[in-house]
Amino acid sequence: MYNNARGRFLGLLYVAPALLFVLLFTAYPFGQMIWVSFNSWSLITPPKFVGTANYTKAFADKQFWTSLQFTLKYTVLITPILMIGGYALALLVAANTPLRRFARAVIFIPVVIGLGASSLLWYWLFSTDYGLINKLLFDLGLLHKPVFWLGVNADISNWAIIVSVIWKVIGFGMLLFVAAIQGIPSEVTEAALVDGASPWQRMTRITLPLTLRTVLLVTLVSVIGSLLAFDQFYIMTAGQPQNLTATSVFYVYLNSFPYLKLGYGAALSLILAGIILLFTLLQLVLSRRSHA
Amino acid sequence: MRLPKLITVALAALLVAMPLGAVAEDLQMWERSGGNASMVDELVRAWNEANPDRKIVLTYIPHSEMVPKIAQAIASGEVPDLMGMDLIYGPQFEDAGQLEDVTDYFKDDPTLKTASPGHIQVATYKDRLYGVPLYADVSVLFWNKLLFKQAGLDPEVGPASLQDIHDMAAKITALGDGNYGYYLAGNCAGCNIFTFGPLIWASGGTIEPKDAADEPLTGDNLVKVLEWARMMHKEGLINPANQAENGETFHLQFGSGKVGIMGTGNFNLFLLKEQNAALFDGNVGITFLPGLEKGKVASFAGGDIVTIPKGSKHVKDAVDFMKFILSDNVQVESYAKLMNLTTRADMAKNKYFEADPRVQKMAEALDVARTPYTLKFFELINSPQGPWLQMLQRVYYSDDPIDQIIADGKAQMKAIAAE
Repeated sequence: MYNNARGRFLGLLYVAPALLFVLLFTAYPFGQMIWVSFNSWSLITPPKFVGTANYTKAFADKQFWTSLQFTLKYTVLITPILMIGGYALALLVAANTPLRRFARAVIFIPVVIGLGASSLLWYWLFSTDYGLINKLLFDLGLLHKPVFWLGVNADISNWAIIVSVIWKVIGFGMLLFVAAIQGIPSEVTEAALVDGASPWQRMTRITLPLTLRTVLLVTLVSVIGSLLAFDQFYIMTAGQPQNLTATSVFYVYLNSFPYLKLGYGAALSLILAGIILLFTLLQLVLSRRSHA
Repeated sequence: MRLPKLITVALAALLVAMPLGAVAEDLQMWERSGGNASMVDELVRAWNEANPDRKIVLTYIPHSEMVPKIAQAIASGEVPDLMGMDLIYGPQFEDAGQLEDVTDYFKDDPTLKTASPGHIQVATYKDRLYGVPLYADVSVLFWNKLLFKQAGLDPEVGPASLQDIHDMAAKITALGDGNYGYYLAGNCAGCNIFTFGPLIWASGGTIEPKDAADEPLTGDNLVKVLEWARMMHKEGLINPANQAENGETFHLQFGSGKVGIMGTGNFNLFLLKEQNAALFDGNVGITFLPGLEKGKVASFAGGDIVTIPKGSKHVKDAVDFMKFILSDNVQVESYAKLMNLTTRADMAKNKYFEADPRVQKMAEALDVARTPYTLKFFELINSPQGPWLQMLQRVYYSDDPIDQIIADGKAQMKAIAAE
């Protein structure tokens, strides 16, 4: 039907709104960002073309690579916990009984809270002087001196933030896994039961392979989300101590807005986007291979 | 005659979309959110009462978003008529040519002569004036007379040198029961420039470079002040929990009643009234932040200046507001009545302040106060990622040689200033 000119025009007309949206809100800003990255621009003075100076500076910027290294460490630590934890929870609550439905809802509730709000909540829970966590550990006799959860020791701070993020987002992965598990045809599971497969065998031979696409999807979402981590670190540690918990996006934000170096911030963003694109491509390749 | 339906709908939509400010000839003013909102609210209220035909509509911007928001407004051309901004950012915006030059409007105005020197210094660029003080915060030293009595110290005599602070803090810390002699925020760049910076200035040192050619972190006594700070930590005279203080609970620390001596601001006295009435009622001593030698003192003059961005549609009215807040009546009946510092030194002697000599003392701090003058204050000093906080954290919590720490701080500051 679209072989003639009128048909092609009609097809183009149908996709035009979506195309326009993408051009206006994705392609144009992206092009602008590339242009900005070749300029020195403080927003309050006119932009000045500096060629590739921002990129050269970024590759020599020790703090940018420290931030990237920390972001990767955070991603490597949190992703398996979110995956295994989310999957384990999904296995526990996948069946549609009233109690399990209730459990699903309770675990999912934090997902609908904004990350900023949940980070503030955990910031105060972890407060050395006023936080309930130190108070609880003291009352239980597990602590004899206060623990500085945030901003003093980079590893402790990282783990404290990981705990807060797990509480916030684990329900999202769980829900996708529940949907995938519930999508497995009941005949397959019943046949395995008739054949005498143990729960472990059913999980490793049937459930996991049949939900692998969802596992890869959740991994992708989790990895990208973690590589773009900002709110929780901005609110809970502000990169402290000694900039050791400054994530890449936090560093981009800092340069772009408080320091008013928009060109340099844009260059850092593009480098980061390139790195995330590499990870995404890698995961897509792995996903296709496993599917084949 | 009936209008076609489409035109009616379009007109209705236009009316709904039209901002109210465009209908009325109100002045739009932006100010950062923070502890001085009640003061600015009062100034705007007083102005609106006196000028019903040219009212000000005040909008608060989250403190941490102030600079980016203003920069975005300038870039988009949608600027307010008046802009209250943290005074330390004044030079950056003046240098960029984004503020209205108000020098000629004030050339015969006597009120300017007694206005806070720190505010006027940062509101001036190449001998031209771009703003006036909106409100003032000064840093001073508080001491807890209740703890002084318990420790056997004279509650009416505060510390006059860094050695005094050390000796008094040692006696207070010896009381135990969670009491500590002194307070320094371990994770807050702004708190430290406000309360630790003056200890350096009072000892003859400097901190930030004015520009790329200027040498940062100078002064023979700088090493001694940093060594003193390290000693205070090593001897346990400062609560180790302060290491986590990023500014969120800074204002609550003195009111806890567990801190003997603390550098803080004038705002803290009135917070204390609500937080710890026993301390507020005659048990807080206030003096200037001292240096190594007795008699040498300093303070940080903070607060906001009010400026007019280029593109303001009501420059003349905006200038009138500037003159209004500097007038005698507003200085006394708005600033002093609310127990906020007057922004003119000659107005500090008034009926409201005379009732409380502590406020009088804080008002006098404006005379010894400084405000850093640099085009890159945030990057150099205020940023949690900046060299100032990094340097202090190494002083407070590491054993790195002080000389090396200063050398590293200098190198980082110079690199930022040179960009």
